[in-house]
Amino acid sequence: MILEVKGIRKCFGGVVALSDGNLVCRRGRITGLLGANGSGKSTISKIITGVYSADCGEINYNGQCVKYKNPNEARQDGIAMVFQNLSLVPDLTVWQNIVLGAEQKKGLGLDNQCAKEQSEAIINKLQPGLDISKKVSQLNPGEMQIVEIAKAISANPRLLILDEPTAALEQAQVKNLFAYMRELADQGVSMIFTSHRMWEVMEICDDVIIFRNGENVAGIDFHKEGKDAERIIGYITGDTKKEECQIGDRQIDGETVLSIKGMNYGKMLKNISFDLRAGEVLGIGGLAGQGQNELLLALAGAYPEMKCDAEIKGRKIKLTKPVNAVRNSILLVPGDRQLEGLFLKDSVYKNTIFPKLALKRQPIFTPDKKYRQECEQMVKSLSVKTHNIDTPVGTLSGGNQQKVVVGKWLSFDINVLLLADPAKGVDIGAKRDLYQYITDMVREKNTSVILYASDSEELIQYCDRVLIMYEGQIVESLEGCDINEDAIVSASMCINKAKEVG
Amino acid sequence: MSQIKKSLKIENLKKIIMKQEFSSMLILLVMFVITAVLQNNFFERGSIIRNINAFAPLILLAMGQAVVILSGALDLSAGAALSLQTCILTYVMKQADPVTGVYALILSFIAAVLIGVINGIGIGYLRIPPVIITFATSYIWLGAALFIRPTPGGESVSWFKIFYDAKSAEGVPALIKAIGGIIPPALILVLVGCLIWYFISRTKTGRYIYAVGSSNDSAYATGINTARVQMTAFIINSVFIFLAALFFVGQNQSGDARMGDPMTLKAIAAAVVGGIALTGGKGSVYMAIVGALILSFVNKIIFFANIPNAYQTLVSGLIIIAAIASSMAYSHMNKKAMLKESK
Repeated sequence: MILEVKGIRKCFGGVVALSDGNLVCRRGRITGLLGANGSGKSTISKIITGVYSADCGEINYNGQCVKYKNPNEARQDGIAMVFQNLSLVPDLTVWQNIVLGAEQKKGLGLDNQCAKEQSEAIINKLQPGLDISKKVSQLNPGEMQIVEIAKAISANPRLLILDEPTAALEQAQVKNLFAYMRELADQGVSMIFTSHRMWEVMEICDDVIIFRNGENVAGIDFHKEGKDAERIIGYITGDTKKEECQIGDRQIDGETVLSIKGMNYGKMLKNISFDLRAGEVLGIGGLAGQGQNELLLALAGAYPEMKCDAEIKGRKIKLTKPVNAVRNSILLVPGDRQLEGLFLKDSVYKNTIFPKLALKRQPIFTPDKKYRQECEQMVKSLSVKTHNIDTPVGTLSGGNQQKVVVGKWLSFDINVLLLADPAKGVDIGAKRDLYQYITDMVREKNTSVILYASDSEELIQYCDRVLIMYEGQIVESLEGCDINEDAIVSASMCINKAKEVG
Repeated sequence: MSQIKKSLKIENLKKIIMKQEFSSMLILLVMFVITAVLQNNFFERGSIIRNINAFAPLILLAMGQAVVILSGALDLSAGAALSLQTCILTYVMKQADPVTGVYALILSFIAAVLIGVINGIGIGYLRIPPVIITFATSYIWLGAALFIRPTPGGESVSWFKIFYDAKSAEGVPALIKAIGGIIPPALILVLVGCLIWYFISRTKTGRYIYAVGSSNDSAYATGINTARVQMTAFIINSVFIFLAALFFVGQNQSGDARMGDPMTLKAIAAAVVGGIALTGGKGSVYMAIVGALILSFVNKIIFFANIPNAYQTLVSGLIIIAAIASSMAYSHMNKKAMLKESK
């Protein structure tokens, strides 16, 4: 046994993040932490590494009771952590980041040669071909995550904590990571691994610990008890009641709200045309990074050089400025909630009124009472877990932040709502709340929605029609019963096209 | 084979041209040429030495400010600290007793470290925003300076002139006088600056200054003692201010509690003109020298262009705006070109 954590309690303001956290980690084994957003997984990881200090409870590491004041102390003791919110310095290069804090000296200066070699060796195992002399600010999110992982590994830890390392990664990167994790485990390194993806946990972990509402509710040793996905899901959600809000087979025969013809933008978007009807939920699918995000951004007016003929309710509009899109009530809910969607230091309430102040014709004095009511309403109907509406958004858990991002736009008269992967990094329960809210809105207000989701299950459940993108083009349009896993996957890989060429 | 080499060279050249530093260098070159045309004896040894001597204080202050800005802070107390240093130096020194010069140097250096430590504690440990704390401390430095020297004046030992003009300094060995005739003292101080540039780009603490300036939270999560790094940056800045003060006292042989005030914003502007981002973590210390030179040349040009007194400041403001705007336009153009290429 390398680590034993007993009875940890931690509150942020009035919100209890962790009420009774217990955890055991053995030498050379990979322990999975599972649980919904806000169940306390991230919190307990951060307490172990000294990012937060526990209100009470004890941590035994290598037979000694420890209490780290900062991540550096933990690092010196051989505990390294891969952070979910990246701990990289954007203006330094990849290799400088990997050795940051552990630079070796050589003569008068630093031993840069050795540092580069060391970084290269680790990066090669995770993602061969990544240029280590690039600045981190030039990388995409997946590559940043790889660098973050490499940085933790470079410290030669005896205990490695990986907090949702795979959320930003692609399949191939995950495969490499898992192979490397196994190798490290065989060398005797212990690991704590958190993820929302069930199959990953099943594949890589030796045992799992499940968290719910700030305490651990179960521990399963895969070697002794076997792998039972249903049982794990049961523990995560608490009740196994499965209630889905399917839009189902509706007849969409409203007028055409948005019509796009011949949209072109560099190599990102090629000749895209489609019509969107009132009350329709149009899904955009395909492999990651085939132009889906760019399509949504283009519709929101983010690209001045984009070319297309767009009509909204029969009126011609130019989609080359964000303000044009917003004036025509085309609203984008961005994918990266921390960067684009929220003012993290402001309260939930303030976040919800910002768009109102910016868009609507305003009375001179803000009708505070009315807006507060609307905000309370939104918090209630989305079941945002927050102390009250004056709590800073930054202190909420990821899933609840995402609810605020979506919720703040929804009191408007929207013609077209653009959703960029709204449920990314959100747990099952919160996802259900979110989509429930969106589908209610579609039904009541007859709003049209364009939804990009990286998870094809969301497309299947909630969309009336799904467009599949491949290398910036729409290669397939699926409707009704044709929307299923197989069809989406085969269209995404462009199997038909490959056949034609072959 | 030779073709490959050639294409490689062109690639390198392109990279150099693409850099934002290139545009600042270009502007400096233009300023240099204009000054050379306007000033008849520009290339004479005497006037070169005079020019370098005139530029040196701003270069020193800009380098110090650059270190602080790179670490993600800003020092509004630099000018007041400079004044305080001149007051301390001239208070301790007695013209009749050459040894007092040594005491003054030691005391002033201790004061420099102390100034850096106080600013650093306020920012790193007490977490007061840099603009606020250095604004507040600037009044403390000013108060201390006025206490020591309510009116400008004071005296200096004669050998202190080596910091400005070694040839005319008295009581120093002939060798130093001879070197001072060939290499102006200002250039020696710039060499000291280069040493510190080496420290910034080749040592741990140097890299940490970039890390802290670029992302304080990330640096902290990595286990870097961010408070100590910020304090180090302020101490380095303080030492640069100390060197600039030696220079002023060498030149004027007196101290003044208010002489440094206009230098604060000049030094910050020089760093920004040199392409150092006020948000921290971006740019390099040697570009602050380029920025300081650009600003200094603007003054020279206005002086030699016979612009009426009343318009001089107005014109210098316009030239600075034009210089920065063209540099920005240039880098924007490059970004666009790079985007097109990547498409």
